[in-house]
Amino acid sequence: MPPIAQYVFNGVVTGGILALPAVAFSLLWRLLRFPNFAVSTYLTVGAYVALMLNQGARARIELAWLGALAVTGVVALAVDRIAFRPMRGRRPFSLAIASIGVAFVLENLVRFVWGNDFRSFDVPVTRATSIAGIRVGRDQLLILGVAVAMMALAQAFLLRTRLGIAMRATADNPLLAAVKGVPTERVIAVATLGGGALAGGAGVFLGLDASIDPLMGGGLIISVFAAAILGGVGSAPGALAGALIVGIVEEVGTLVVPPTYKTAIGFTIILAVLLVRPTGLAGARA
Amino acid sequence: MIAYLTAIATLVGVRALLTLGLNVQWGLAGLVNLGAVAFFAVGAYTSALLAVGGTPLIFAWPAGVGLAAAAAAGLAMVALRLREDYLAIVTLGFGEVLRLFLLNEAWLTRGANGVTAIPRPLHAHFAARYDVFYLVLVLAAVAIVYAALERVRRSPFGRVLRAIREDETVAAVAGKPVFRFKVQAFALGAAVAGLAGILFAHYLAYIEPNMFLPQESLFVWLALILGGSGNNRGALLGSAVLLGLLEGSRFAKDVIPFLAGVRLAAAQQMLVGVVLVVLMIRRPEGLLPEKPGSE
Repeated sequence: MPPIAQYVFNGVVTGGILALPAVAFSLLWRLLRFPNFAVSTYLTVGAYVALMLNQGARARIELAWLGALAVTGVVALAVDRIAFRPMRGRRPFSLAIASIGVAFVLENLVRFVWGNDFRSFDVPVTRATSIAGIRVGRDQLLILGVAVAMMALAQAFLLRTRLGIAMRATADNPLLAAVKGVPTERVIAVATLGGGALAGGAGVFLGLDASIDPLMGGGLIISVFAAAILGGVGSAPGALAGALIVGIVEEVGTLVVPPTYKTAIGFTIILAVLLVRPTGLAGARA
Repeated sequence: MIAYLTAIATLVGVRALLTLGLNVQWGLAGLVNLGAVAFFAVGAYTSALLAVGGTPLIFAWPAGVGLAAAAAAGLAMVALRLREDYLAIVTLGFGEVLRLFLLNEAWLTRGANGVTAIPRPLHAHFAARYDVFYLVLVLAAVAIVYAALERVRRSPFGRVLRAIREDETVAAVAGKPVFRFKVQAFALGAAVAGLAGILFAHYLAYIEPNMFLPQESLFVWLALILGGSGNNRGALLGSAVLLGLLEGSRFAKDVIPFLAGVRLAAAQQMLVGVVLVVLMIRRPEGLLPEKPGSE
């Protein structure tokens, strides 16, 4: 049996992938004030866009990844324009229901074109190296590195750029921000585009690390939710930390319960956090 | 053709019960529940497993309803204090975790093989026209539940629920034990969903965990919103229209040749998703809106 450190390492990789949609989900939730259930489905969209470029157009996986970022961002923006924008200001739950409808449409669009089969990217096989008794794949290190870089970029954008600061202002107090001249719709558009790109990129990583199928993203919604709640809704570093914790607990948890119960672990984390703080960790202000 | 229509009508009846159940929770009391399928499954499995084990249906059916209500009350005690966006994920997660339980705990639920040879009530007496008998049974159940829920809606209990839906604080200030009312409404709705599950299980005589996917909860929502939440007539209409939508699109394969198998199922579900989104944007009050101040 592999040492427990192996499970922790796998958990860190899973958590690193999970962190991207978790940050997108968390920030969009705070900004638009509803949990967007379609965010985890953007992973599926990203993976299949990359699959199309990688297998159809024979693009290298790096290029396919960039394509997935761009296309998924645009898809997210289109979804926002078509479905969510006409509903701005409505009760959060109505928007949440609509987002489930959107997720359902996207997932089945993918299924319509590619069917239910499991697929994988056309990439050169690399051998895993062994570091201190832990099997470490080259892809895993690359994924982790790029995920961390993307998170750092997102955080820098939020803290340092005018638009990022405007975004945080709108998230805190949309009315005050609008009065102060923040272009609300532009802020939302940029956040949606960026969030979609983060999730789409994560989908490619997930496809590399595991496999590609129409449910790959949607099946993660509970883990993404758990990460966002654990980190406090609206906090990017919080969502990263939350995702790492969820990833590690889910992987290490498979030592205790069958792997099919992974979703149940995420669910338990959500319940545990909400039982302690019924309004969520950062819910007091949300 | 008659057999087909009878089967469809029976399934509309089962869906109508599910929708009526959700209407108690969301339509009357304003309680978010994205896990309607969970209580449907609890009712189905409880009754099916008891009946297969030899328990007479007269005990197995109430047990199914009772356990669905009890499970809902338990979940409600934990979850109903949460903000509604959190409640959405908790109920959704509950449904999914329950399905994993059904799939993995084969010692109790028979796992992926499902429960087979579920006894069909009074089969010996009506063997000749059993599907017609069962349709009558389901329609009778719908009629009784509908009448009962109409009474509930007009009763002081129903008025309090609507008051809680509109403004919880006002209801609390008026001295109503809001939390208790919410738990009761949640359990009542789940009991109706449990009954739907029972009728479903004993109709098909076979159930397995993947009949209870999260998307089933979404279908219940669509039926409720389509018909118009808050009124029971809308719940009935919505269920019929939804099944018409799902079954009608099945005939599309005769017209469009490449639409078969996975593609057909995917196209069908895309249609469901699109209708739901368009409805939420354009007509959230549904086909039959609740009349303001209706008694």
